[in-house]
Formats: sequence, structure tokens, C-alpha cells
Amino acid sequence: MKGSMRLQTEVLIIGGGATGVGIARDLSLRGIPSLLIEREDFLSGASGRNHGLFHSGGRYVVSDPEAARECIAENRILRKIVPHCIEETDGLFVSLPEDSLDFRDRFIQACEEADIPAYLLSRDHVLSLEPELNPDLLSAVNVPDGAIDPFELVLANAKDAENRGAKFLLHSEVTSILVEGDRVKNILAKNTLHGEEYLIEASYLINAAGAWADRLLKLAGLRMAMALSKGSMLITNQRLANRVINRCRPPSDGDIIVPNHTVSILGTTSVRLEDLEHFEVTPQEVSLLIEETSKMLPAIEETRLIRAYAGIRPLFQSEGKGDDRAISRGFVLIDHEKRDGIRNLITITGGKLVTYRLMAEKTSDLLCRKMGTDLPCSTHLKPIPAMDAPSNLKDRLKASGEAEILCDCELVRTDEVEKILKEGGVKDLQDILHRTRLAKGTCQGGFCIYRLLGILNEMGLAEGDSNKILRGFLEERWKGIRPVLWGSSIKEEELIESIYKGIFNL
Amino acid sequence: MHYDLIVMGMGLSGLMAARTAAEAGKKVLIIGKGMGCLTLFSNTIDVLGKIPEEARLKDGLSQWIQDHPDHPYSKVGLIGIDESLSSFTSLFQSPYSFQTIGDRNSFIPTGAGIMRPTYLIPDTMVAGVSGNKKALIVGFKGFRDFYAGYVANPLKWRGVTLSIPDVPNQEISATALSRWIEKRSFRERIGEEVKKRLNGETSVGFPALLGVNDPMGVKMDLEEKIGVEVFEIPTLPPSIPGMRIFNRFKEWLIRRGVNILSGYSISKVSLKGRRCEGIHVHHPPVSTLYSADHFILATGRFMGGGLKADRRRIFEPVFNLPVSQPGSQEKWFEKSFFDEHPVHRVGILTDSSLRPIGEAGKVIFENVRAAGTILAGHYCLDEKSREGIEIATGYWAAKNTFQI
Repeated sequence: MKGSMRLQTEVLIIGGGATGVGIARDLSLRGIPSLLIEREDFLSGASGRNHGLFHSGGRYVVSDPEAARECIAENRILRKIVPHCIEETDGLFVSLPEDSLDFRDRFIQACEEADIPAYLLSRDHVLSLEPELNPDLLSAVNVPDGAIDPFELVLANAKDAENRGAKFLLHSEVTSILVEGDRVKNILAKNTLHGEEYLIEASYLINAAGAWADRLLKLAGLRMAMALSKGSMLITNQRLANRVINRCRPPSDGDIIVPNHTVSILGTTSVRLEDLEHFEVTPQEVSLLIEETSKMLPAIEETRLIRAYAGIRPLFQSEGKGDDRAISRGFVLIDHEKRDGIRNLITITGGKLVTYRLMAEKTSDLLCRKMGTDLPCSTHLKPIPAMDAPSNLKDRLKASGEAEILCDCELVRTDEVEKILKEGGVKDLQDILHRTRLAKGTCQGGFCIYRLLGILNEMGLAEGDSNKILRGFLEERWKGIRPVLWGSSIKEEELIESIYKGIFNL
Repeated sequence: MHYDLIVMGMGLSGLMAARTAAEAGKKVLIIGKGMGCLTLFSNTIDVLGKIPEEARLKDGLSQWIQDHPDHPYSKVGLIGIDESLSSFTSLFQSPYSFQTIGDRNSFIPTGAGIMRPTYLIPDTMVAGVSGNKKALIVGFKGFRDFYAGYVANPLKWRGVTLSIPDVPNQEISATALSRWIEKRSFRERIGEEVKKRLNGETSVGFPALLGVNDPMGVKMDLEEKIGVEVFEIPTLPPSIPGMRIFNRFKEWLIRRGVNILSGYSISKVSLKGRRCEGIHVHHPPVSTLYSADHFILATGRFMGGGLKADRRRIFEPVFNLPVSQPGSQEKWFEKSFFDEHPVHRVGILTDSSLRPIGEAGKVIFENVRAAGTILAGHYCLDEKSREGIEIATGYWAAKNTFQI
């Protein structure tokens, strides 16, 4: 390939979600060099679009005890290695009068069998812990659920991996995979921002593209059956409960409320999806989520919602053949040597955010077997250092001190953003938003985006037309806000429109 | 106490209604929850920005009225609009007065470096009009609602950001800065700093916070120190120029004996047949009934609290007046942020004297009128007509109330 940049690596990982980044770190600890390529930025797929539940396994314990066991085991490990990403809130599985107490008893029994510490709480006790809960509830079961910050988790993993020699190529899309005989020989990729082309030679290729895994395999002339399921969520402007609130019934729509820093996230729905690039939260989903979650927390009916968003669960459809190495129903690890006769290709998909480390471990183990080494995994032992800027509000408040605050909703400091900008590597607005808590608060960036662009202009870093970027951001923001505009949200929206369409004449 | 008129809402339309009635010698009470949206956005007076650039405003308005029979301007008419604007400008005498240039819209720079059309401009902004001159834009470190570089870059001007030594490394608000700048010693320092950085520019643009009380004094003093013309550029809310407008109205109304009740909302209205007899205002822990012969509802749109929305409908919370509905919630807003959203055109439908009407055009209350942005049939954001609608309909509602 003339004009394209040649890159060489031992292992090429495709996909910058929790799984891909987890593999990069796992390999870096084993001393295996890797390059990770990602079409957009870290967390652009399901890793950045979920409810941030730190699973105890309770949610699957009745329907899928194997996945539940994995969850509780990883739950224990992650508390040790990434305590800074986790809020240990505990979770309640609440039984309402219309819920079967048989299910509750089966639930407690299944938790015991899966080694998930669970205990029953009386109605009065539950209400004293979470006074906003529906007073008609019968009882609740306490499990070790929690909240996890996916942004901090993935970025901290990436940083540690990078410090140990892993390399990252962001905003670059794989355009073709050249297979020669029984091996993937080269990979062609293209930078999506400036069009530069890369020819990548890798001894091994790991497909960790999540919902895009199937599309990627197509480039190599292979295929796998995936079922794409859209899950929609709503964010409230305040935290309605301190614990994770689950409905004690078989998993269904609108049965979970997860605390996340200063807000609560209401989830979820499950809708089959065909188009990976264009999907939105429908008015029906919004109504359903409000109606179902408010049965557990009646205050939701009156609470201001600040955003609706959706993520895609990459589910693997069983092919009914014996050639898949399904480790569990939770995630899928495919050795394409056995399945398709391609010796240096592995696909890992499915799973849960909380099992990302285990998925990385199993993938790296398989890779090591292929490489003929027995370098052991150590990700379950070695803690991941926290990022410089703390993610939780209490620590942010402490750190904000005398510094200038750029985002008032989430206390993001101006110098924190300036540091990220100076370090380089940030290519567009979304990159900055992924690396800070900017625009994640009540006004959803209504004020701080103007400030951010102001700083970029002052620092001489603003490339191109800032107002075009501003327009683009406002359109993206709109997607999440439009489905929840009523009550006080509509007031804020009038304010934001008055600023940008009115004062600024954008 | 019994009043001739009670005005509900302390934005520009409410203030204009109170002024018009007070000028005719009426006994007026104006009640408001806050200072209205005036203090958020009203830097200049937009009347109708959405007309051809070179068109005279009168011609633009006259065409607009022809094309939009249900628009609030069509109810007031050209003469009424003209009278109302004259009444507004006569309230602002030199040194801080409002000007129009050639009876046309003028273009002034915004905080995003885009020029925007507007009609009446305070003296402090005139030197920025049209942006022909080469300007140096000045921002302040720590003031997060204005970035000199952001303003200057698209306009091919130059921006500088000054540090304020007394404010170490922390954010500073528009109101605080506007107080600082009223101090001579502070101006002395920044005047000197700016002068040093001039490089052939023939004017200097500051964020619109050159003092609340004596902006022209501040402007002239800075000009003397810097040696070139100085102008203000509107920023994010709050609006210091809006506060100047509010303060001037308040001062005038108080002098005219208008009672002002600020910080309270209306808990209930007393109705008798097709008339309103009074409003209940809750001052914790008691409620007081204020009665009047006439009422003007100028409570604004969603931001002001004049309109409210739940998941199912849009309603008016004081009288429960009928509100035109844009269909179910998913139809309120279009897919693109920059589209024209149907929700912005809803509001209170009225007859030509601004009395709210129900089905079949029937007047609901004989002695209640609506004024300002709560009215249906306009899209003031897109039309750039917010202040014009407020001034014209506030004036018109009071004028019709008393057949002045």
C-alpha cells in the first residue's frame, strides 16, 4: 500500500470498550505487546451507554445461575482492584403486592446456591433505609449490588495499560482484513478524522468490537449470528435512592433504578434492533420506564428527567453447533481456528461490564495457548491506579478548593480540562466529554460547552469553526433531551434555546 | 386595598402594562415571582429580526402583519407598536438611551462571534454595530460567560484575556465584575492594560457588564483611558443591560405610586361569573386577597412559569385558561434542535384587545387580558421579536383595559 503508514504489533485488539481495553491491560501485565484500534473513542459503544450497575449477580441468579456466579466472583475482585470506580451501595430486590413471594423465596435460595450474600428485610426496615420506596411493598432482599463508573473504569484501565507499554490508535476504523491461507495477514485501517491510512501487520487479531463484532468478521469473510438488543434508560436530575433498587421478579422492562453519583438511572427496555448506527429512545419506552419504575419509587412520576439514552447489548445467538467455545451464556469466546480454520483470530463478545476483567483474562489465556506460552494472568491481583481527577462528587468538592470551576453541575475544574487538552491525544469534543464529567449534569452541557469552546479558542486549540462544533454538540444533546421535555426540563430547554438561538443567533 | 389594575408578572410586558396604566393615572399593583426574563436575555430590544437586512422596520412589520394575522403584532397594529416603542424609549433618557440606526435593524456582535440583528440598541453597544471597524475584544480570566477569543476568531478580530489580580484563580460572576468595573481604580488598571495591547484597533469590545448604575460613565471613562471607542457585547445570562432596564422601570413605577410586590406567586384567583375579582397571594404563613377592576396576565412562557407542561398537556396555571395544544408530547419538539418546534407557538389565544378567548372565540373573562410571550401565535426566538412583543402587547393590554 502506497502512502499508508505501516504499523507492526504482536497483537491487534479491535474495539475500545471495557473488553478491549481490559485485554490490552491484561496483555501488558503479561508482557505481551499490543495495539488497540478503535473507530471512535474509548467507551463509544455499550461500555459508555449502560446503567452503571455493579452487578452482584442477583439480577440473573434465577434465570442464569452460571452468569450470576461469574458476576459475584468479579464483584469481589473489582472491589479490590478498582475501588475508586465503585460505590458500594448494596442493592434491594423489592417485592410489591403484585409480585409473587414464591419467586422471592426462589431468589433467596438461588443466591445462596450461587454464593451471593442475600438477606431478607422487613417492610419497615426497608422503608427506614430507603424512605422514597413505595410504602405498599411487602419486603426486600438485600444483595451486594453497587454502582460502577464505566468511564473511570475504562480510562483507568487504558492509562495503566499504556504505562505498561500498550498502544492505542483511536478514531481509526478497520476497513479491510486480508486473510491468506489460514491466517489473517494484514489489516487496513483509516483515520476517521484526517483520513490517514494504516497498514497493520499483527501476529494475532482479537475482535472485541462488541455489537460490531459480526460486521468486523464480515471483512474477513466470516460471519457470526448476533442479536442486537436496544436497552433504553432515563436519567433523573437527582439521586432518588442510595441503593440499587430492583424489582424482585423475573427480569423485565423497567425493573431497575441505579444510583450514579448525583443522579439515578432508570432502566431498562429490550427492543430488537437491526440498524446499529441509527436508533433512538421512543416515546413508548419513556412512558413504560416511568410507569414501571415509579411503581417502586413513586417520586419518579414527579421527578425531573434530564436525559434519555440507549445502548446496544451485543448478544450472541447460539448457532446450534458444537464448534463454539461458549464459556458461559454470559459471554462468548470464539477461537476461529477451531470454528473457521483461521489460526490467529479470536472473537470475544457479549458479557457484562462487571465481567470485563474475566472476559479479558479468558481471551488472553486463549491467546497465550495459541502463542505457546503460559504467562499467567495477574489482573485479579494488581490494583489499577485511579485517574488524577476523582470521579465522585465528594472528592471533587474537596479538590475544587480555590480552582476555577468550568462545569457547575459536576464541579469540573478548568485546570483539569486544560491539563487534558495540553496532554494531547484528545481529538474532538466527544473525547473531552468522555474524559471528564463535563455535560453529564443537570444542564447536560447547556452552559459548559460554550465555556469549553471558549477555552479551546483562548488556548489556540480550536480547529475549524467552533460554532459548527457547538451546533453539532447541541444536536447530539438534543437526541437525549427531546424525549423527556416536560415539567421543569422544558423550562431549562427554553433557557438553553434562548441562549443559543436568541443571544448568540446560532 | 382595591386597585384599578393588577399586573401579574414583572417581565418587560408586565412592566410596560404597569407603566402605561400608571401614566394614565390608574392605581396599579404589579406582582411578580422574580425579575422576569428581562434580566436573563434582554440586552437590546429586538422587534423583528426576521426581515430583509436592508428593509425599514416599519415596512417589515407591515408585511409581517399582513402575512401573520394571528401574530400578537397583528392584534396591536403598526400604530400601537410604534406608540409602545416610543413610550419605552422615552423612559430611557441620556446618558443611557436606546437608539435605532436608520429605522432599520442593526447587527451587533454576540458572545459566539456571530452578528445578530436587533432594533433598539443602548448607547453602550452602538460602537459595535456592524463590526466594520477593527476591534480588540477583551475578556477576563475567571469570567466564564465570555471568551474574547471565541468572539474575535470568527469575526477576524483579536481577543485578549486580562487577569484580575484581586481575584486569584477563581471564577467571577457578571454581577461581581459589573460592580468592580464601577470602581475608578479598577478601570484605571484595566484601561492601562488594554491600551498597552492595542495594535491598530480602532475600538474595544467588552462583555456587557460595564456597570449597572452608570454604564455610560464607565464607557466614557474607559474610552478616555484607552483612547479608542468602547462597546459592550451581550453574554450568557444574567444580563446586566437587562437589569438596567428593570431598575429604570422599577424606579419610575415607584415614583408614580405603583405598588410592587416582588418574590411572591399567586396561589389562587377569585372569580365571579365572567369576571375576576381578586388574586390570593401567599405570604407564608398568611394569604392576602388583592382585588381590582382589571387584571393583566403577563407571566411569560415556561421559564417565567406562565405556561406549564406535564407529560400529557400544556396548561396555564393561574386561571387555567385554554392553551392551544401542539398534539401529544412527542409532537412538541422536532427532531433537530435547530428546527422550529411547534411548542413555541402555543399559548393563550385572545381577541384583538388581548382578552383570552375559548372555543368559538368567546371571551372568557371580561376584565382579564394577557400580554407578553404567553400569547399564542409567535416564535419570538426565531423571529427575534421577544422584547418587541413584550413592549407592544404590555402597552396594548393596558391601553385597551382603560380605553386610553
